Amino acid sequence: MGHSDVAYFGIRHHGPGSADSLVQALQDLQPVAVLIEGPIDASALLPLLARPEMQPPVALLCYPEEEPASTSFWPFAEFSPEYQAVLWAVDNEAALRFIDLPSSARFSEAAVDGAEKVDADEAKEPSERDDVAPHRRDPIGTLARAAGYEDGESWWSDIIEQNPEPGPIFAAISDAMMTLRDGEGSIAQYEAQREAHMRLEIAAARKEFDGPIAVVCGAWHVPALQATHPQKSDEALLKGIARRKSTMTWAPWTGPRLALGYGYGAGVVAPGWCKHLWRTRGRRDAATLWLAMIAAVLRVKGHLVSTASLIEAERLARTLAAIRERPKPGFEELRDAAIAALFNGEALLWALVEAELLLGADVGEIPPDTPLAPLIEDLQRNQKAARLKPEALERELSVDLRSDSGLFRSTLLHRLNVLGVRWGKLTDAGRSRGTFRERWTLAWEPEYAVRLVENLIYGPTIEKAANGRLIQMIEAAATLDTLAALVQGAITAGLSEASTAGLAALEARAARSSECLEILASVPPLADIIRYGEARKTETNRLSGLMERLIVEGAIALPYAARDLDEQAAATLASAMRKADEAIRLVEPGEDVLNGWRNGLAAVLEGSRATALLAGCAAHLLYEAGRLSAEAAAGLLGRRLSPGTPVAEAAGFFEGFFSTAGQRLIYDEGLRGAVDSWLKSLDEDAFIAHLPLLRRVFSNLDSMERRRLIEAVLGRAARLPAGLTPTPDGGEAWRRHLERLGPLLMAGNGNG
Amino acid sequence: MNAAIRLPVEQAYASELQALARGDDRQKPAGWSLSPQAVLTYLLGGKAGDGTPVTPKYVGRRRLMETAVATLATDRALLLLGVPGTAKSWVSEHLAAAIMGDSTLIVQCTAGTDENQIRYGWNYAQLLAKGPSQEALVPTPLYRAMQTGKLCRLEELTRMGSDVQDTLITVLSEKMMPIPELNTSIYAQRGFNIIATANNRDKGVNELSSALKRRFNVVVLPLPEDMAEEVAIVSKRVDEMAGGLDLPVPKNVGEEIARVLTIFRELRSGATADGKVTLKTPSGSLSTAEAIATMVGGLSQAAWFDSGKLGAEGLAASLVGAIVKDPVQDKAVLEEYLETVLKKRPDYAGYYAALNAAI
Repeated sequence: MGHSDVAYFGIRHHGPGSADSLVQALQDLQPVAVLIEGPIDASALLPLLARPEMQPPVALLCYPEEEPASTSFWPFAEFSPEYQAVLWAVDNEAALRFIDLPSSARFSEAAVDGAEKVDADEAKEPSERDDVAPHRRDPIGTLARAAGYEDGESWWSDIIEQNPEPGPIFAAISDAMMTLRDGEGSIAQYEAQREAHMRLEIAAARKEFDGPIAVVCGAWHVPALQATHPQKSDEALLKGIARRKSTMTWAPWTGPRLALGYGYGAGVVAPGWCKHLWRTRGRRDAATLWLAMIAAVLRVKGHLVSTASLIEAERLARTLAAIRERPKPGFEELRDAAIAALFNGEALLWALVEAELLLGADVGEIPPDTPLAPLIEDLQRNQKAARLKPEALERELSVDLRSDSGLFRSTLLHRLNVLGVRWGKLTDAGRSRGTFRERWTLAWEPEYAVRLVENLIYGPTIEKAANGRLIQMIEAAATLDTLAALVQGAITAGLSEASTAGLAALEARAARSSECLEILASVPPLADIIRYGEARKTETNRLSGLMERLIVEGAIALPYAARDLDEQAAATLASAMRKADEAIRLVEPGEDVLNGWRNGLAAVLEGSRATALLAGCAAHLLYEAGRLSAEAAAGLLGRRLSPGTPVAEAAGFFEGFFSTAGQRLIYDEGLRGAVDSWLKSLDEDAFIAHLPLLRRVFSNLDSMERRRLIEAVLGRAARLPAGLTPTPDGGEAWRRHLERLGPLLMAGNGNG
Repeated sequence: MNAAIRLPVEQAYASELQALARGDDRQKPAGWSLSPQAVLTYLLGGKAGDGTPVTPKYVGRRRLMETAVATLATDRALLLLGVPGTAKSWVSEHLAAAIMGDSTLIVQCTAGTDENQIRYGWNYAQLLAKGPSQEALVPTPLYRAMQTGKLCRLEELTRMGSDVQDTLITVLSEKMMPIPELNTSIYAQRGFNIIATANNRDKGVNELSSALKRRFNVVVLPLPEDMAEEVAIVSKRVDEMAGGLDLPVPKNVGEEIARVLTIFRELRSGATADGKVTLKTPSGSLSTAEAIATMVGGLSQAAWFDSGKLGAEGLAASLVGAIVKDPVQDKAVLEEYLETVLKKRPDYAGYYAALNAAI
């Protein structure tokens, strides 16, 4: 039985500064065992981290076998002290293990804690959750903020590492934590259990190993682990903790998901900055390199940044550091200097580089033989629940969305489609909207398994991964109509997080968009969702609000958008207008919204610069809505088509009005009367001049409809008057016709 | 007795500056009368070394002032950008006063400013009598600042023509000004620097050439971030101006200021105060200064035409004037704001109706 010295290294989770100090300290200490804060049952997986194929950021995933939705994550980045400790231990053949409570304790903790929803707990890290006080989550960050630093790493390097008497850094940290924790009352049961467990494991390791032992844990825990507690009371504390079997594996992680803002409680503000600090540790030009990286991102985005400006930015950063009485420029100084010298003072431009530089686009990699992929497992579980077997041969499947099992199957297939796993293909897409039935063709390809595993960076279950992936697509979407389509996709696949994110994006985008066509084009898919929502049991209130807003916006933008358009643009807008109107009538918005839309149409109709086609289209829609009486319509038609109007414009108006309303003439006496009286009022030349456009409008009536129209005009048993029966050979009439047509055609040529 | 309406700030705040200088034992850049930290204390308020209280001159983010002072300490020129009414000139004057004890070397740039007003001019009588000579040369504030190692202030830099602006390039990068007529040049003494101010929202100003822009560090002074702070600024100024114009101030002016500022801030920031609805922003700047003008316009309307009653009807015309700068785009923005936001707020019913009638 040996007896060993234990060295406690209180680190900052994901702090490159403490990672660097830690590696040096381990090198000096040469411990025979390295104990790390982390779930003890995952110890066996630790050496995998040191495999060359393992590229951080990666995360340790633990979940109860039967319930993968409550997965817990322990992410590791290249600059995480824990990761560096593992590398060191494997290189130096020291024993390596986790000493925290087994992962199952955390699941039950989550179950007890009512506030923790299943959806939210991917953000959890053992001790560091959103609801804990910041000084416990990140004590070093708290000390830094107290000293006026925004960035804990800059403080670490200024205060801890620039210490003129380099020495026991970790002893200093431990002292600081001792002060912070001094006089704290009783701590939460779960925290107490964790610390007790770690103490017991350390004691056990002391007995087992002969030589120095290193304990790597969050700085906050150091005083508690160093304190002497009777072993008995620790054991009593741990009595009855849940020991469920959990499944564990490594999963690739991404840079942005290490960031604090992305729901990861122990995250860092800027993973990109941490990585930079780690990569440039020990170098004196870290600040220069950082500014050069900012400049590189700006240049890619099309901003001119000269080398001379970089020099000025660095000089400014140094002066700022001097004014703030810091030994060297840190994160804040570099940012402020970059804004003043490189961004022309525009702080908004900082947001441009932020995503790329601070969050980074790193994606981790894991060795191919890593045990189990949770997504595959989840798929198998879902397949079982849905009673669907993966078969390579094509097979038809019809689901009824009203039944729970049907809805479950449809949702599963839709989610897989979001993940790029096209197991099921919807055979009647589009037509099925608004109905209760969906038809699928199922065929499983072996590569789907691979594709599924690639989605692990988005989440550990199919639902979460689909949510994550869709949210990413939503963030990248540029136009309202694509967004609307994505939201529709999210709702169809029952992905509530993605649809919430999509709706928010849609709202933000809707407010900024003044492109009328885009607004109108987004109305029909949203209307579909609202209608479709009944089959999908979705919350449609928020959607209706958004929809109403889009309608109002579209109505306001419409009169401006309808001005002076060429033929093609007018036709596009007219078709969008009709579709939007149809969708609006379908969802039956509030009276005032409907009025707003109709007022917009009326403004198009009355606008002196409105394109004739659109004015006609607006008149038709208003007439259909009953806002325009038959007499008013007749008057309007007469006026807009009167001889003073250029033929092209009159034709445009007429086409706009009647292009979809030809049939209407059969049934609608008032309208027919208006057209009839207008036609009758035309003199012969004008009538002939209008003939082509009349033909165009009535050409989309089939022969039956034409016949009925003739009957309606001329009376029930009507035939064409005898005198109008065409002569079999045309004869004299044809010759006369040509005679009249000739000059018209010539005139047309002359104009064209 | 001094009957000046306003004294230069180095005289108005002389006691604070002296107190700061007395207690200032930190390192000072060449030619500075205070250390950078003391300059910051002077700007942001605090206590001098001997305990004399120092009033804050600038209310806002500390780091902006730190960047401004650090810029001047690196002998690089400082450009203060911002919409009207963000205290650009005020900050520039106080910086010059604190750093040099002299804020009077100032060039007011206009469209009519030519090179003679920036570099040097000539006394024509002397020029005719003696030919080009040092005596015939009339120095400008910039010239004097270079000679004596002081700070020169250029107000509204972007209002003067681009060709004239570019005469600054040599001065800024080589810290010298050639005088070819005399076959000589003057070299800036240590301490010399330039503080320029410019408006970043106005149309029709002369863009800075990128060569010149590169020679400035730019600090953008923002509009007040906090509603309460802005309300306080507006109330104070409206009271002062109403007093100056002998306008009676009705009791409800506070409520109306809050409403008008809410409309201004929501449109300016592109989101409702509760952050729930995103909005389009109009093309105008909707600065605090314009809010003040709108309120004073409303007060004047109330006093002369509405029998002293201040309300939405009287304010609507000036509000529309402030918001709608572009007759097509801004009108659509305002209409949308009225329909999607104000319509749903019962306490803004008057504004909804009056604005709808006014546009």
